[in-house]
Amino acid sequence: MRPRPDRDAEPHLLAEEDFLREVHSFDFWFEAVSGYLEEQPFGHDPDLVETPMDDVARDSLITTLCNYCVGETAALEASSGLVRLAPNHHSRVFLATQVVDEARHLEVFMRRLEDLGVEDPEAEIDRRANQGLEDFRSRLLELVDRGDWDAAVFAQNVLLESMEDTVFRFHEQSADEITRQVLVGVVADERRHLGFGENDLGRRLAHDPSGRRRLAEVRAELDPLVLGSFEGVYRDLGIARQDQPELGRHYLDAVERLGLTA
Amino acid sequence: MNETTLDTAESSIVTSSADAAPRRTFELDDTGFKEVPKRWRKFYRHWQGAGDELAPNEVICPVCKVVIRSHREFRPGDRVYCMPCMSRLVVVERPDGRLEADVLY
Repeated sequence: MRPRPDRDAEPHLLAEEDFLREVHSFDFWFEAVSGYLEEQPFGHDPDLVETPMDDVARDSLITTLCNYCVGETAALEASSGLVRLAPNHHSRVFLATQVVDEARHLEVFMRRLEDLGVEDPEAEIDRRANQGLEDFRSRLLELVDRGDWDAAVFAQNVLLESMEDTVFRFHEQSADEITRQVLVGVVADERRHLGFGENDLGRRLAHDPSGRRRLAEVRAELDPLVLGSFEGVYRDLGIARQDQPELGRHYLDAVERLGLTA
Repeated sequence: MNETTLDTAESSIVTSSADAAPRRTFELDDTGFKEVPKRWRKFYRHWQGAGDELAPNEVICPVCKVVIRSHREFRPGDRVYCMPCMSRLVVVERPDGRLEADVLY
């Protein structure tokens, strides 16, 4: 059995193969999430008291959380399908951890909806779901069903995860304390997901640059669905346009690094 | 984070053609970053946004925006790993002299 790195070793000294073995391992995931989720059942300190909220603010938050649930459902369904398509065992193990992360996100957002007085979260999500996000979910699952690893990883781990990361971070700044703590834990998970997607695609495109043109076409089709959906989230949060962070900047930086701007 | 005396035993940690002067070394404290297993936590910290000045042994991961840290001052050409997002990076010097990290696929 290969030894794990020394406890005091600098991570930057690891051989590349050892680094990938370490970060894609179930153990790494378990120790990482234990660090920030321990003693936070359903993603937040259980002793927190609900911040008073007027009806309008509560209703907007419910709509926002319903659409977060749509995104997380898409990611849960797609990442579980991607386990079968993964090109190697490192990726399979990593995707299994992502499936658990996405399931947790869906659960904590649904619990939050219940906290806010929603009696039937599933029905409420169906009622308030943004159509663009639902369309994106359908297209993502089509890519998975078709066995198109590159396109599905791009759509899920680069496009969807980048947008969620930007919106969740921004929402953290104005959210009530319970919602904020839930979002902080979700964002910590998203870092792994978007990093996996960009690095996996980057490696594959470096070996097969011809894949860029096809992914650029997928991007052109899916970008408007996700961008439009998350602009809707900003509206639901009551954030004036001039105060909104540039929604696509983080995502476009990744697209540029991957050479998918054509 | 405390600056310490140069540890020449570490001089082979990361190779760089620009290694002309001795590098400073640093002791790293745990800053409360919990997104990686305990033994790796001191090598990362949350970036606090504009105004958060980076030390000579720190660079920002362009993928996930976490600050990556090392026991040693960074130099162009150094390889670094961002464990929170699993990225492999190389330290580069921008025209204005700033050190940043580029992703290596």
